[in-house]
This record gives sequence, structure tokens and C-alpha cells, in this order.
Amino acid sequence: MNTVKKAIRILLLLGGIPLLILLGATAWNDRRYQLVTMGIAVLSVIPFFLTFERREANTRKLVLVAVLTAISVAGRFIFGPVPFFKPVTAVTILTAIYFGPEAGFLTGSFSAVVSNMFFGQGPWTPFQMFSWGMIGFLAGVLNHRGWMKQRPMLLTYGVLSGIMYSFVMDVWTVLNYDGSFGTAGYLAALASAVPVTAVYCVSNVVFLLALEKPVGERLMRMKKKYGI
Amino acid sequence: MKAFAAYHPIVLFFYYIAVLIFAMITMHPVLLAASTAGAVLLFICMYARRPKVIAKNLLYYLFLFLLLSAVNPLFSHDGERILFFMNGNAVTLEAIIYGAAIALLMISVMFWCKCYNEVMTSDKFLYLFGKAIPKLSLILSMALRFLPLFKSQIGKIHQAQKTMGLYTGDSFVEKIRSSFRVFGAILTWSLENAVDTADSMKARGYGMKGRTNFSVFTFRLRDGILLAVILALSGFLAVGIRGGAFWFQYYPYIAGAYTGNLQIFYDIAAFLLMMLPAAIEVKENVKWKLLKSKI
Repeated sequence: MNTVKKAIRILLLLGGIPLLILLGATAWNDRRYQLVTMGIAVLSVIPFFLTFERREANTRKLVLVAVLTAISVAGRFIFGPVPFFKPVTAVTILTAIYFGPEAGFLTGSFSAVVSNMFFGQGPWTPFQMFSWGMIGFLAGVLNHRGWMKQRPMLLTYGVLSGIMYSFVMDVWTVLNYDGSFGTAGYLAALASAVPVTAVYCVSNVVFLLALEKPVGERLMRMKKKYGI
Repeated sequence: MKAFAAYHPIVLFFYYIAVLIFAMITMHPVLLAASTAGAVLLFICMYARRPKVIAKNLLYYLFLFLLLSAVNPLFSHDGERILFFMNGNAVTLEAIIYGAAIALLMISVMFWCKCYNEVMTSDKFLYLFGKAIPKLSLILSMALRFLPLFKSQIGKIHQAQKTMGLYTGDSFVEKIRSSFRVFGAILTWSLENAVDTADSMKARGYGMKGRTNFSVFTFRLRDGILLAVILALSGFLAVGIRGGAFWFQYYPYIAGAYTGNLQIFYDIAAFLLMMLPAAIEVKENVKWKLLKSKI
């Protein structure tokens, strides 16, 4: 059963995305990259959601993800006045470390959807869903042997995820900017986003340092007490 | 006024999908103009009682429009008609026009999204996807519900700590320490609360077969009519796009093929589709004024 699901997931990723690119290249020669990349961002999120949707319901885990999502969204609210300085990534990473890659992915991508309901949905939502979700997923995968619980690893991952987030979101910036995607434009966008990326990295490290102990301890306690 | 938002969520959802696809699929000036006009008019209708919001947004996006049209020629030097040289680089008419078109596309999508946030509220979203993805929409609705709950709980914890005489100092460090303490308390409380909620849900049979959901939306005749109109217009436009009616080229020279007798109908269809919500808003507004004047 597990292998079937895995096969479906891989098929969707491997088949759907090239098909979409092909369609974008042949169906209209107008080079409408925006629609195609938005579609890719959506498609790459769907397999994760589908596998979660099909599995037997673990109500406790489900509600826990909702709570952690709400907490990271509340964090985005509290730090609203400070631009780009947000605890969403840190909460997502910590969730992933204690509850696995799937919970990390869900918390990250749902934080994007829910917070954008207040800050405004837009073409950037799928990209945010993808990048925050992926940050959570990777953190969970890397924690396979408890690596991520070591502080140097955790902080390095915090910095890396800030850079990763910037890389993915700048794809959207470039597309939005002139509707086509070129290496030169992408590099220019990355270069101009360096201060923002720096703020992402610093905020991730600061929030991970600040939240690692209080959040980690409590999540660990939940895990032990209720066996989630 | 929110006459358009009163339609059935399915109709609204289809409309938004169609509009966003048609707005982004080509860069044809007619489609761009129709999409921008429709989005901005709808925005004005929706915020009719808050002229300040309208003015602020229009000014901001006008500025953005000018900025983007001015910046594109600095990066892109394609195009045949060279206006002048700057730092040895050609500034072309095509690049300026393409910059304006891109800016228009971006602004129209922005305004559609602004209206989307007003029209497709979270309850409608959950109604639409509640059946297809029950678990995910449950997480979504719970997260949305937790936010106000947290807010009130944070206030309670804060007050309780104050009455205990904790962290009454005015210094910045004291405030930070206090908010961390409150955060810790709210975290523990919400996690414990979550498990209680989950157990309670399970005890009441969450996830069992044959459960139905309550919804306030009914599909009326007018929803069917509007949906039919939207589908017909979208189909007609799709045929037009397939036939090359909305083909337009900016580089290396501007060319838009005027394709035959049907072109004017395609253009009209584009405007009709994009103007639908604004027209509905205006119609309802006029009707309201008329009825009121008869009293």
C-alpha cells in the first residue's frame, strides 16, 4: 500500500510537472511562464496533501498541526511591524523535528495559506506554500537520526532555509517582474534581495535560539504524554 | 455593496479561475485592458463606502505602473524603434510598451486578488473544499478558529500574571521576559487543549462514514444562469485564443494580428466576462436606490 502511494506521488511529480512545462511551451507560444510556474508550485504541493488525505485519520496529530499553524500565524501577526522578521520558519522547523516531515510540511504550507487570508492571497501563495512546506519537510527528513536536535545543525539549517526561501520566492519575483525567466534577471533579483535574505536568516536563527527550548520541551512532552 | 459575493461559492470559484487564467494567458492589450478595468471597477464598487481606501490603492498602483514601465527599458534593449541612448544602451519604444503591459497585467492580478479576499471568505472556501479534502479543510478551519481563541487566552494569562505581581516593570527586558512567559503558557495550554479537542471529536464520531455537513449556501436559479453565462463566455474566449485572436507580439516589433470578422465579438466577450461582477454590483446598487426612492 505504501509503495503504491509512493508511486502515485512520484508519478504526479515526475509526470505532471514536465507535462505542464510541455503544455506551456507548445500550447501557447506566448511564453506565459507565470501560469506554468504557478501550476508547478501547486502541483508539487498536491502529492503531500493527497497522501495525508488518504491515510487513516490520526485526529490528535491533525489538531496539533492546526494549533502549530495557528501559533506560527499568530507569530507573523505579532511581528507584523518588523518587515521579513517572522517566526514562521522556526515554528515549522521545530514542528518537523518533533512530529516528522509530513507534519512539518503541513504546518509550513498551511501557515502560508492561513496567514495570507489576513495579509492577502495572491499569485505568491503557491510559492510560499511550497517553500515553507519544503523547509518543514526537509527538516523532518534530516532529523532522521536526531541530527537536527544538535544546536549547530539546527542553526545552520535555519540559515540555509532562509536562503532557500529567498531562492524560491525570487523565482516569483522575476516572473512577476517581466513575465519571462532568465538567468540574468534571476541573479539580479537574488542580488537585490540579499538584505532581505539576510533578515530571513537572522530571524530564523534568532527565533530558533529563542524557541528551541520552550517549544521543543513542550512538543517533546506532548509526544511522550500522548504518544503522538 | 456585495451583490456579487452573494452568489453561490461554486459560481464565484469558477469565475475566479476563468478570470485569472484569461488575465494571465495572453498579453493582448484588449484582454489586459478588460481585465484591469473589470478588476479596478469591482474594487471601487466593493469599497464604495471607503473612498480613502480606494484613493490610496489607486494612487499606489498608478505609481507602481509608472515605475514598472520606466524600469523595463533599462533592462531590456530589444525592439526596433530606438528612442534614445542611455549610457550606451538603447531605450526602445517596444521595451517601454512591454513594460507598461507587464505592469498592467500585474496590477490587474493584484486587484483581482484584493477582491478575491473580500468575495471568497474562508467559510465559502471551506464549503467548497470540505468534501474533496475533509482533513485539510478541517485543519484550515481549526487554525482559523484558534487565532481569536489564542488572542483572548493571551489576554487572560497576561492579566492573571499581572494580578500575581509578575513582570510589572516598565523596562524593555521585563516586557520581553513577560511576553515569553505568556507565550510559554499559551503554548502548553493550546497543545493540551488540542488533544482534548481531538479526543472529544473522536468520541463524537469524527471521520466516520455517513456524516453530513451544515451549509448555508443554496444553489438558486440565478446562480445557474450566471454560471452558464460565465462558462459560455469562457468557452467562446478559449476558442478565440486557440484561433489566435488574442495573439500579440511585443518584440522585436509590435504586431497584433487583426483576425477577421469575429475579432470584435471576441473583444466584446472579453470585456463582458471581466466586467460581470462590477456590472452586477452596479445593477444591484441602482435597484436599491430606485426601491429606496419609491418609499
